Amino acid sequence: MHNGEKTPLIRLAKRESMPAAAQWGIRIAAILLALVVGGLVILISGNNPVQGYATIVEGALGKTSGIRQTVKNFIPLLGAALAIAPCFKMRFWNIGAEGQITAGAMCATYFALFWADRLPQVPLLLIMCAAGAVGGGIWALIPAFFKARWGTNETLFTLMMNYIIIGVVKWLQGGPWEKIPRGSQQIEQFASNACLPRVAGVYCGWIIVLVLTVLMFLYMRYTKHGYEIAVIGESENTARYAGMNVGWIIMRTMFLSGAIAGIVGFLLVSGANNTLYSGVANNAGFTAITVAWLAQLNPFAMVGISALLAVLQKGADTLNTQMSIPVSLSDVITGVLLFFMLGCEFFINYRLIFRGAEERQARKEAAKS
Amino acid sequence: MKKRLLAMLLAGAMVFGLAACSGGDQGSAETPSSPESTAPAGETTPAGDEAKTIKVGMVCIGDENDQGYTYNFMRGVEEATAQLAEQGINVEWVYKTQILEDSGCEDANIELADAGCQIIINNSYGFESYMLKVAPDYPEIEFISCTNQASAVDDLANTHNAFANIYEGRYLAGVAGGMKLQQLIDEGTITAEEAVIGYVAAFPFAEVVSGYTAFYLGAKSVCPSVTMKVKYVNSWSNASEEAAAAAALADEGCVLISQHSDNTTPATAAQDAGVFHCGYNNDMTGVAPESSIISCRVDWAPYFVYAISAVANGEEFAQDWTAGYADGSVKLTTLNEAIAAPGTAEALEAAEAELADGLHVFAGPLSGHPAQDPDGEVWSIGEGEYFAESDLSQEGGLSAPQFCYIIDGITEE
Repeated sequence: MHNGEKTPLIRLAKRESMPAAAQWGIRIAAILLALVVGGLVILISGNNPVQGYATIVEGALGKTSGIRQTVKNFIPLLGAALAIAPCFKMRFWNIGAEGQITAGAMCATYFALFWADRLPQVPLLLIMCAAGAVGGGIWALIPAFFKARWGTNETLFTLMMNYIIIGVVKWLQGGPWEKIPRGSQQIEQFASNACLPRVAGVYCGWIIVLVLTVLMFLYMRYTKHGYEIAVIGESENTARYAGMNVGWIIMRTMFLSGAIAGIVGFLLVSGANNTLYSGVANNAGFTAITVAWLAQLNPFAMVGISALLAVLQKGADTLNTQMSIPVSLSDVITGVLLFFMLGCEFFINYRLIFRGAEERQARKEAAKS
Repeated sequence: MKKRLLAMLLAGAMVFGLAACSGGDQGSAETPSSPESTAPAGETTPAGDEAKTIKVGMVCIGDENDQGYTYNFMRGVEEATAQLAEQGINVEWVYKTQILEDSGCEDANIELADAGCQIIINNSYGFESYMLKVAPDYPEIEFISCTNQASAVDDLANTHNAFANIYEGRYLAGVAGGMKLQQLIDEGTITAEEAVIGYVAAFPFAEVVSGYTAFYLGAKSVCPSVTMKVKYVNSWSNASEEAAAAAALADEGCVLISQHSDNTTPATAAQDAGVFHCGYNNDMTGVAPESSIISCRVDWAPYFVYAISAVANGEEFAQDWTAGYADGSVKLTTLNEAIAAPGTAEALEAAEAELADGLHVFAGPLSGHPAQDPDGEVWSIGEGEYFAESDLSQEGGLSAPQFCYIIDGITEE
């Protein structure tokens, strides 16, 4: 057993592949386990877990107004996940979607505040959307340029960019864009022609993100750009060897990514909030990372995952209202669920090897032959 | 194969877990079925029960732990609930706490409306614009925005504003503070010029300016040489910034700190700096016994009783509401006799009597410039004139404070 001391107790090994049924078995088990742990949290708060879960589902999907709120939560999650998908495919870790959403929101707001009296609704909204896309795109292009030119760390760079733009919006909110009378730290609610119309009770952003889903799927799957992104993601050197201009592709993809995030920002200010404030992205840019990973960068899977998270978000709010469970505990439940779901992907991709297991396996096989 | 086994085991564990949980909670009285959600005001009551039940939602910027602004609302809630119970009205309160002044407030209002609340109270100034986005969708629910003023202009019958004449409380607290300053002058501890008040203010906004001006005028009524420095923290509630502002003011020579911000940290900072303090929202003598002389606060109970009983009885209630010290809507906390100047209690009594007799706090001669605009057009009123603050009997009068001038003797920093 001297041998055993050298190898660690548990080792990880990449799995070759796992049958689809087994994969789904693990996923379902993980969700069930998460529900049990989440149930414990509800129990600790002094409530009945079954009732708690029923409240979550009923709160999110039970009433028309609840469904509307759920859809409202769903739009930025899906939009931001779509935005970061191409970057992640390229293995460019853009965790700055939060800031890119905010930058887009800010640029769109400029036109909502200062051009609403001069432009009719449709052109104004189109200009706001374009401004959002350009704003978000530029905010993403800056770290991409530095990465392409000097090989800076994109994770840190994109993260830091978030704080800058959120600070800028905070300043606008209490400074030049503050509504009159001053002192409220709020920006005026938009004029009606700067607001996105509602379709089926929710602002029409949901249609836009669903269209974007299809477009993103086609882009990633069937275009030359999509192919280039995939190749760079697999191996930058291969891409270079194949004659691709990697730096250019990185910048182009990041601009696209930021532009979509910027459009999400536009949707939020024009559709959901009708005003701008520093917390406009409301963590959608970060949660979207989870959504994108869980969906394995498949746009259609993102629809499902975003919907699930949106239900949880709204449900947690109702849980707080109806059962007085603190919001922080509802967040814990969501966190537990995400943790288990992300964790199970780990077990699908890797297997654990316990010390001595291989020897036993070898012995078994030796005995067989 | 092994995985499937694992999955089954986990599923089994889950089923057992849930069964155990639901078994354990059989006796729980909480069954969130929602019959209330469809019941309009005052229509359905539990069978065989005479008592009316009103469900009231409250959107709060903090929670009861802030020991200040939201805590003061919660105290009003308790008091009102007890008083209403005596009238045979049960109130079921639903809270959304720690809500920011952003879209989350809109969500909170929708959430409360869907939970079946018949009245929804928004306790912070910045909530109103979001409340107004929800109110038109629920015409049968009464929406109240405290300290705000849109109900007069929003064309909605179901929106309301309310704020008590806190300037009267500020004035009285100022009298208590001024007595202390005069005592320090009389004892020779400070010179007359050194009687400087430091005021920790949230924002350069009418509600705040009106409050500190009233406080200053109260102090001046008993200590004529007093001056005041105001420092803005640009937040209603930021415990550390409030403390830092109070400490800085004490460093600059202020010998009495007062505040319009939600936390008790200015009181503790004042005590650390060895200066005196007058608080807001809550008795702060507990946290700063050697420093805090008195606090004034709005007592929300009378308004809550008024609005809730109106809804319970199917009556209309005012779209804009205010009441003052004489009505019990503004209160002083217990005077800290151990440190207050001798004769403070008598001085307060006298000032209270004057207020009851119709003393105008913002009485001329007064002159000043608009807040944050030293070069702005000078405002002034002469002897015998007064600024009618929060006077609904006036044409265009609003409950929300409107006085927003920096009068002589006060400097903004």
